Amino acid sequence: MLLTIPSRGAAWAGNDKNSIVFEDAFGRPISVDLPVQRIVVLNSDTLEVLRALGAQSRVKGVYSEIDRDEAFFKEFLDRPRVGSWRNANAELIADLTPDIVIAYEKNPGTELEKQLSSFGIQVIRLNFYKLGTIVKEVETLGRIIGREHQAHRLAAWYCKKLEAVQNRVGLVKKRPRVYVESYSDFHTAAPGSGGHDMCVYAGGKNLADKFKVPYSEVTSEWVIEEQPDVIFKTFAWSKGFKNKDNAFLNAVREKILTRPSWNLIQAVRKGRVHVFDSSIWTGPRAIIGVVYMAKWIYPDLFFDLDPKQIHKEYLESFQGLPYQGVYVSGDFSGGIQ
Amino acid sequence: MKNQYRALKCRSRVLLIFFFLLLTVIGVLSLCIGASSISVMDSILALIKDNGMARAIVLNLRLPRVFMAGLIGIGLGTAGAVFQAVLRNPLASPFTLGIGSSAGFGAVVTIIFFNGLVNEYAIVTGAFVFTLLSSFVVLGVSRYKGTTAETMILTGIALMFLFSSLSSFLQYLGTKEEVHGIVFWFFGSLSKAGYKEIILSGTMILVPIPFILRFAFDFNLMTAGDESAGALGVNVPVIRMLSIALASLMTAGAICFTGVIGFIGLVAPHIARMIFGSDHLFLIPASALIGAVLVLAADTLGRTLWLPHIIPIGIVTSFIGVPFFLFLLIRKTKEYW
Amino acid sequence: MIQMKNLDVHYGKTRVLKGIDLRVNKGEIVSVLGPNGVGKTTLLKCLLGMIKPGSGFIKMDDLDILKMSLTQRARFIGYVPQALPSRFPMTVFDAVLMGRKPYVRFVPSGEDLEIVSQVLLSMNLSHLALKEFDRISGGQKQKVLLARAIAQEPCYLILDEPSSNLDVKHQLEVMDMLKTLAAKKNIGIIMAMHSLNLAARFSDRIVMLKSGHMVCNGPPAEVMTCRTIEMVYGILVTINRANGYPYTIPLSPVPVNKINSELLN
Repeated sequence: MLLTIPSRGAAWAGNDKNSIVFEDAFGRPISVDLPVQRIVVLNSDTLEVLRALGAQSRVKGVYSEIDRDEAFFKEFLDRPRVGSWRNANAELIADLTPDIVIAYEKNPGTELEKQLSSFGIQVIRLNFYKLGTIVKEVETLGRIIGREHQAHRLAAWYCKKLEAVQNRVGLVKKRPRVYVESYSDFHTAAPGSGGHDMCVYAGGKNLADKFKVPYSEVTSEWVIEEQPDVIFKTFAWSKGFKNKDNAFLNAVREKILTRPSWNLIQAVRKGRVHVFDSSIWTGPRAIIGVVYMAKWIYPDLFFDLDPKQIHKEYLESFQGLPYQGVYVSGDFSGGIQ
Repeated sequence: MKNQYRALKCRSRVLLIFFFLLLTVIGVLSLCIGASSISVMDSILALIKDNGMARAIVLNLRLPRVFMAGLIGIGLGTAGAVFQAVLRNPLASPFTLGIGSSAGFGAVVTIIFFNGLVNEYAIVTGAFVFTLLSSFVVLGVSRYKGTTAETMILTGIALMFLFSSLSSFLQYLGTKEEVHGIVFWFFGSLSKAGYKEIILSGTMILVPIPFILRFAFDFNLMTAGDESAGALGVNVPVIRMLSIALASLMTAGAICFTGVIGFIGLVAPHIARMIFGSDHLFLIPASALIGAVLVLAADTLGRTLWLPHIIPIGIVTSFIGVPFFLFLLIRKTKEYW
Repeated sequence: MIQMKNLDVHYGKTRVLKGIDLRVNKGEIVSVLGPNGVGKTTLLKCLLGMIKPGSGFIKMDDLDILKMSLTQRARFIGYVPQALPSRFPMTVFDAVLMGRKPYVRFVPSGEDLEIVSQVLLSMNLSHLALKEFDRISGGQKQKVLLARAIAQEPCYLILDEPSSNLDVKHQLEVMDMLKTLAAKKNIGIIMAMHSLNLAARFSDRIVMLKSGHMVCNGPPAEVMTCRTIEMVYGILVTINRANGYPYTIPLSPVPVNKINSELLN
C-alpha cells in the first residue's frame, strides 16, 4: 500500500515509506507510517494483545503501573516506564524514539497528541476492553504492526467463542434476569459499562438495562423487588493470576449472600451468586467472563462449555503462559489441581 | 417581664416539640417509601407484627436507613452549631475546619494503599482516624498559638486545602476501580447502613450530646466575646477545645460509614437560628432536629426523584439545600446573626 | 477591699506597669486616668485576672485574685467592657442574664430570671427587655452591659472607658447610676476614664498613670493640678472650680522645646 498521505504533525516530504489508513477508537481515519518497529504501550490491555500477536520485542516502553501485573507481564518488567495510563510523560516517551504510542480512547487526553506531534510520534487510540469492538481493533493492530496472520488467528478465536455462546442464546425465548454489580458495592453496571455488555452477550437480561447512568447506586429493596435469577459481581483486588485459591472471592460472595434481607432474593436462596476477578471482566479476556456468565445463566444449555478450559487455551496459545490463578468464586475456580 | 421572657422560651420549647414530631412523621413516611411494592399499610404494620416479606424489608432495609439518616443529621447539625458557637463564625462547619476533607483523605488513603474497598471497616477506620487527626492539629496549633477563634479557623482552612489536594493527588495515582470507589464515597451513601454501623455511629454521635448541652449556656456567653465570657467565669480555652473535640467526634461518627454528606452542618444551625434565635439551650437541640429532618428528607427524595436510580445523598443535600437556604435568607427580614 | 501591691507587668521585654500600689475600698469610686497606651487597660486586666503580673500581687478581700477560680472571681468582680463584638444576636434580657453565669448550674433558674428583671427595672431598661441587643442605641447598650455586670451581684465593678462613645445625656445617666451603686450597694468601682471632667466630678479618688508609673492617687480636688495634667497628658490646661469639683479646660499641647528641655533636666 503506497498511499502517500502525510502523517499528522510531521513535515513529511518523502514518499518512500509505506503507510496504512485505518479507523481508530474515535472512528476517525488515521494514517500510520510503516513499518512500526518501536512501540510504547500505555495500558495492560494493549500489552496483552501485543503479546498475543507475538510483538513483544517491539515494545520499547511501558506504563508505570505494570508492577501491579508483575506476575502476568514478567518479561516486560525491564522495559522503561513512561508514566501512567492516564497521564504519560511525553519526554520519557520521546526519549525512547518510538514509532507509535498506543493508548485508550479517552485516557490520556488529547494533549498527548499535541505533545508528541513535534517529535513525529503518532498516538493510536484503541480500547481492547469493549467486546463490541475488540475484534476489529485486533485486526487493525495486526495491520499496523504487520502481524495480520496472528491477528486473524486471535480474532477468529474470539469470534468462534462468542458465536458458540450467541448461537445457543439466540434461540432462547425468555432471558433470565441478572443483577450485575460493579466494583463498588450497591452500584450496578448499566448500559455504558463493560459489565452490562458482557451480560447481554451472555444472554442475560440486565435488571438495569433501562438505566441512564452507567454505574448507578441501587437499594437492596430494589434488587429484592426485581428478583433476579442470577447475581454477578466483579471485584478488582483479587489478583486473579496470582491467586492460589478462591478463599478471597468466596468471602466476597459470602458477604453478598449475607446482606440484610437478601435471602429474600431467589438468586441468593439458590446460591446463584458469582464473583468475578476483574481480569476476566473487561479487557482482552472479557470473553472468558462472558463464557462463565453464559454457563451460570444457562447451566443446562451450556452443559458442555468449560470456561476454565477456554481460559487455558487462551493463555497457552496466545500468551505463552501456563494456566494459573483463580478468577471466580465457587467451584469452577481453583488452580489446576 | 420575667413572664414575657418565659413565654418566649415556652414558644421555643413548643417549636422544638413540633420539629420532633415533624421528624417522626418524615421518618414514618420514609419507612413507607421504597422500591418494593409493599403497601403503606403493610409497611406500618411491619413495625408491630410479623407480616413476612414486608417486615424483612422494613426492619432490615428501611428502618436502618431511616435511623442512620436521622443520626447523621443530628451529628452534623449539632457539630455545626457547636463550631459556629465556639468559633463565633457563621461560616464554620465541620467541613470548613478541614474535618470533612481530612475524612475524605483518610478514605482515599485506605482505598489506594490499604485495599480499602476490600476490607469492610478499613475505610471507616481511615476516615475516622484522619478526622480526629485534623482536629488534633487544629487544637494543637491553638494550644501553642492561643485559642482564639481566628487561629482555629485559619488552621482549619489550611488543612482543608491540604487534604483536598492530597486526595486529588492520590486519586491521580489510583486505578480506574479505585477512583470509582473514591468518587462514590465522596457522594455519600446510606445503602450500607446496618444495625452494627448504627450502633457505632450512634455511640459517637449521641454520647457527646449531654456534654455539649451542658455547655449550652456557656456558648451563649462566648458569643459576647472571649473577654466578656472569661470575666463572667467561663473557662473559654478549655470549653472551646473540648467542644471542638466532641464536635469532631460527632462529625467523624456521622461520615465515616456513609461518606461525605455536606452542607448540613452549615445550613441546619442557620435555619435553626432563624426560627429559634441564638439561645443555645434551644439552638443546639434545634440544629440536631433540623439536621435530621434535612438528611432524612434528602435521602427520601434521592430514592424517589429519579427511579430507579438513586441520587447520591451528598448531591441531594447540596442541590436542594442551597436554593432552599437562599430562599430563606432572602425572605427573612430580621438580622439573625 | 482590693489591694494591689508592687505590681509589675511585662509584655515581652517591655515593662508596662511598674511598681503599682493601689487600694480600693468598697463603696469607693476610683478613676484611672492617663493617655492611651499608658497601661490603663493592662491595669484593669490584672484586676480581672486576665493578665499575670511579673511580680507583686492583687488581693480581693484578702484573697489572692490569681488563686481564685473563674467562678469565684466572677462573683467578686463585674466587668463592663467598652463594647461588644459587632454581631450579638441576643435579646437585652438574655444579655443581662449572662451576668448570672457565676450562679447558674446548668440552666438559669426562676430566681436568676427574677434578679435580671429587678436589675432591668432599677436601670429603667424594662421597656427594652425583649428587644434585640443589636438594635438599641449605643448609650442603651452601655447600660445593658452595666446591667449585666450588676446582675453578677459583685462586690466590685471594673469599667473600661464607660463614657466614650456615649452622648452627653447617657454619659451623665451612666455616671449617676455608678454613683448610686457605690453609695447604696457599697460596690467598689474602678474605671479607666479618658474624660478628665467626668472623672473629676464623679470619682472619690483619681489615679493617674504615666509610663506605667502611678503619678498620683487622691481626691480630685487635691490631685487635679495643672502641673500634674501637663506632665501626664502633655497639654497645658487651666482649672476652674464649679459645684465643688475641679473643671479642666484644655488650652494647648505643650510646646515641643519645653518638653525637650524637661527631658534634658
